[in-house]
Amino acid sequence: MKFDDVLCPFCGCLCDDITVTAEGGRVTGVDNTCLLGTSKFLGDNRLKNPIMRTDDGWKDVTYDEAIASTLDALLEADRPLLYGWSGTHGEAQCIGVHMAELLGAVIDNTSSVCHGPSILAIQEVGHPGCTLGQVKNRADVIIYWGCNPTEAHPRHMSRYTTYADGYFLDNAFRDRTVIVVDVRRTETAELADVFVEIKPGGDYAVLSALRAMVRGRDEMIPDSIAGVSKEQLRHIVEICKNAKFCAVFFGVGLTMTRGKYKNVRNAIELVDELSRHTKATITPMRGHFNVYGSNEVNTWMSGYPYAIDFCRGIAFYNPGETTAVDILARKECDAALIVASDPAAHLPSKCIRHLANIPVVQIDPYPNMTTAFCNLQIPVAVSGIDAEGTAYRMDGVPIRLRKVLETEYPTDTMLLGRIYEAMMEVRGR
Amino acid sequence: MRFILNTGRTIVQGCHVEDKYSETYAGEVSTCRMNLLDMLELGVEEGEYVSVTCGSGSVVLKVVAAGEAIPCGSVFVPYGPYINHIMPEDTHSTGMPDFKSVVVVITPTTEPRKTLQDLIEDLGGRMYEIR
Repeated sequence: MKFDDVLCPFCGCLCDDITVTAEGGRVTGVDNTCLLGTSKFLGDNRLKNPIMRTDDGWKDVTYDEAIASTLDALLEADRPLLYGWSGTHGEAQCIGVHMAELLGAVIDNTSSVCHGPSILAIQEVGHPGCTLGQVKNRADVIIYWGCNPTEAHPRHMSRYTTYADGYFLDNAFRDRTVIVVDVRRTETAELADVFVEIKPGGDYAVLSALRAMVRGRDEMIPDSIAGVSKEQLRHIVEICKNAKFCAVFFGVGLTMTRGKYKNVRNAIELVDELSRHTKATITPMRGHFNVYGSNEVNTWMSGYPYAIDFCRGIAFYNPGETTAVDILARKECDAALIVASDPAAHLPSKCIRHLANIPVVQIDPYPNMTTAFCNLQIPVAVSGIDAEGTAYRMDGVPIRLRKVLETEYPTDTMLLGRIYEAMMEVRGR
Repeated sequence: MRFILNTGRTIVQGCHVEDKYSETYAGEVSTCRMNLLDMLELGVEEGEYVSVTCGSGSVVLKVVAAGEAIPCGSVFVPYGPYINHIMPEDTHSTGMPDFKSVVVVITPTTEPRKTLQDLIEDLGGRMYEIR
């Protein structure tokens, strides 16, 4: 059977033009996907049933046993951590927040080690953003700063920027100027009209210099800033000021280096300066297909986008203290529920050592690095393949994930819903 | 020699995020991409091994020549369990550790690269064998 206009549940581009062929309970073909999307749709490494760690290996358990064991682990804990959430749909994320409130737990999502600092910057100075449709149809200058869409968001350039036809651009490919700013010459840099190579850690200084030059303070700027010549900076400023619409996209090159949210704040304030001359917007290149959704769900339910601590009975938010890396590194949590992410592959080793010493339940369709550190893993349907739900694209547009396979796996919503209902019963709610 | 380490995504790493027990994934995330001039100065060739040391420890990675794509003085390693073995956990009160622009010391080594299983067991985990 063939399904058209399916959403790809891999990255924040959330491409919605995928054609999927499914036969015999498997995806047998895909069209329009990038390599990342193809590997996701055609992947065939799912866990077959819940598994529980024993003294000398692993044993299969039923879903009922797995749910009972999850309840024991989470209800007995004094300070449980509920982490992940970016690879599932919004409806399941809602249950996660309810669960965190009931347990007095900390709930954090993967944005704390991705674009969390971008959110901190936005909370300081706001977000002059727009939808990707506006960029596609109007932007004649594109800046990719500290990101490499060719490898991390492979269709971003063909769907929304460099190679995409635009309604208000006669010849989009020739009319757009693409500027790439990075510390290394990536494949994306090879496709740029202008490549600006800056020294590692030099983003803040270069952004500050650009802001000063946009304000007409050229005389303050030395001949070279973080390896970038004043001449090249002047060239970029001219391109941007003469643009009809300048769209800046930035990646974790800004959020993962020293300065973190201050780098992003500076980038937003550069866009603010540019907006005095032309239209300018800025958008973070979100990684997981629904990490943005997790921030949205958390915010509308608790007031905060990530790193929310319910131990006081109310929502408390203090990134740096209530974020997963800090809580794990301080060995503070005494149980963890990991949903739709793989912290053991992406967090520093000190955090993982603590995961190895506490009860950990993982809800994820695939065996991953965290499997090796959990006591119990419960497989679920894959959002966007055999589970429906809502996901938010990197520009904040919610889109409905489609289901192309029938499945016997429970969805995240079904499984988390059962666990939450059982928790409420035990707690007498 | 001291280098600036940047970690990041690659297409091969991305294609195997749901297949992390594959040899391709382990091979990809245990590479260290370097400028040719730095390789000359360090005395290593493509396919040889280097020990990368940061505050939290050391890890052995395989050298990949990156031509001019990586500037002298910098190295690039794909995200994953190998490099995170040595990444510092300090978040400077932001929740985000330093995954980029981290100072590391790199030396040639004849030590073998650890297997994924060794890495997991070092951290107190237990490998799950896929059936």
